[in-house]
Amino acid sequence: MMIYSAANLVRRFGERTVLNVDRLEVEKGYIYALLGPNGSGKTTLLNIMGFLDQPTSGEMRFREREVNFQERTLHKLRQSVVMVQQNPILFSTSVYKNLEFGLKIRNIPVRLRQRVIEESLDLVGMRHLINDPAHKLSGGETQRVVLARALALSPEVILCDEPTASVDLENQVTITRLLKDINAEKGITLVFTSHDENQAASLPHFKLFLEQGRISDISYENTFPASITPLSDQQSCCRILNELELNIAREAEGLCRLKIEPCRIKLSRLFEEELPQNCVEGRVQKVSEDVRGINIGLDCGVSLTALISNAEYRELNLLVGDSVRIKIPPEAVSVLDYRN
Amino acid sequence: MGFLTDSLVSAVLLAISLDRELMEIVMVSLRVSASSTLIASILGIPLGIVVAFETFPGKRFVITILNTLLALPTVAIGLFVYALIARRGIFGPLDLLYSQKAIIIGQVILIIPVIITFTIAAINHIDDRYHKTAMTLGANRRQTALVIFREARYGIVAAVIAAFGRVVSEVGISMMLGGNARGFTRTITTAMALEYDKGEFVLAVALGIILISISFGLNLLFHLMQGRGKK
Repeated sequence: MMIYSAANLVRRFGERTVLNVDRLEVEKGYIYALLGPNGSGKTTLLNIMGFLDQPTSGEMRFREREVNFQERTLHKLRQSVVMVQQNPILFSTSVYKNLEFGLKIRNIPVRLRQRVIEESLDLVGMRHLINDPAHKLSGGETQRVVLARALALSPEVILCDEPTASVDLENQVTITRLLKDINAEKGITLVFTSHDENQAASLPHFKLFLEQGRISDISYENTFPASITPLSDQQSCCRILNELELNIAREAEGLCRLKIEPCRIKLSRLFEEELPQNCVEGRVQKVSEDVRGINIGLDCGVSLTALISNAEYRELNLLVGDSVRIKIPPEAVSVLDYRN
Repeated sequence: MGFLTDSLVSAVLLAISLDRELMEIVMVSLRVSASSTLIASILGIPLGIVVAFETFPGKRFVITILNTLLALPTVAIGLFVYALIARRGIFGPLDLLYSQKAIIIGQVILIIPVIITFTIAAINHIDDRYHKTAMTLGANRRQTALVIFREARYGIVAAVIAAFGRVVSEVGISMMLGGNARGFTRTITTAMALEYDKGEFVLAVALGIILISISFGLNLLFHLMQGRGKK
């Protein structure tokens, strides 16, 4: 069953179009990642999906019924969808009262409220803070209590705006695990945004890429602004962010946006000889696993992601902080578009 | 110098002895000011919430008018209310002139803009995320407004305290509409003005000390409230 479907969804702020989605479908019970760089329209789309904002034009269906973006109807729909904001806020009262708020609104009896609140806090491992003042919690604790506050309402959908953006690494792991468990155990549909494709690698069943307000087929991973200058009849040189210089097949001269295919990047540990063409030295910043293999986050002046197989990873035995040689063959580079 | 010191010592002794006349004046002042602050709060806080929350044509103009009314002179209000409640005024038959009720009416007009504008400011200072959070948790407009009111509570209490401070220290309205009748409409400020006219400084200074103490206490409360709101 499609929990959301939308067609020709447009949101404008004055003259500026921030969202222009031709088609969107979200199936019930799955985890969706909404990926894209800052300013790509992720939060705007999430606000519309959370019935906190209305599109300028277009059609949206929720539970296969068309959404009427009138305040009275939206209030009912909001009771099925909870949005967790990027920097979530707790009301300036106790943790208990924060969780009780939504239950009170839904006229849940007091005795049942107590049980639901305790169960929800248990799920996120925050039961011991039940009577603490909310403003004394740390960022990670706040994020987990906010998740418990959403869970207590047993919504059909939880929308999370950059759920791990403002917490430390330990809490990032905990929150990612929590989101996975919530989806697996309760069957709640999860839609979350992230600008870090690596970080979002293991969690979603489906990924949607947003770019300049449009849903794109192309992942924005390893997409950079670059300038191209001709070298010969067959070759051009591209400079990426003035940090990386690569020789590629002949392309038109000018400023462009290009993509480096993660799976075509080759990594090795050999440094003895001089670096050949299209090879740079870099440092391993991050290692994560997804269905395609192992993602290696690299720093070589620019942040690059390489995708290698599990066997290659075992052979290279890469650890965070290790130095590696990065080979970017010309065929790994493709020009997406030129800038005027 | 000796005169000033003598007056001050006598005034302190008078204040400590809880002199009957002095206490009567203080009680009238507190009763009238508390009543006008209560009525103005009942009317002003909801109006402030409505103006802060709703979008309507001319909202900015309304806020500009309210800000202008903050500087309204008490004598102008006294004159305006006098014209309404004097025998020849439209509310003349109600026989309100030179009563505590008349002072209360004038003071309510004086501080309603204070309470409304301070309430608007307190609500506008509340993080927008509270609004969005309440809505996404399923709150309707009224419930969302209550959440915002709760978060802005310290600012709103500070508005009420500021309003009370304004009325307890005003003199124009109390004099013009109350008439300074002993034991009935004589407030701290009107009694001080009268004693000054008579050249009797002891009672005036004693009342001054009490008024300054009330102002100091209110300011202390105001800062405590602001401090709690910032936590």
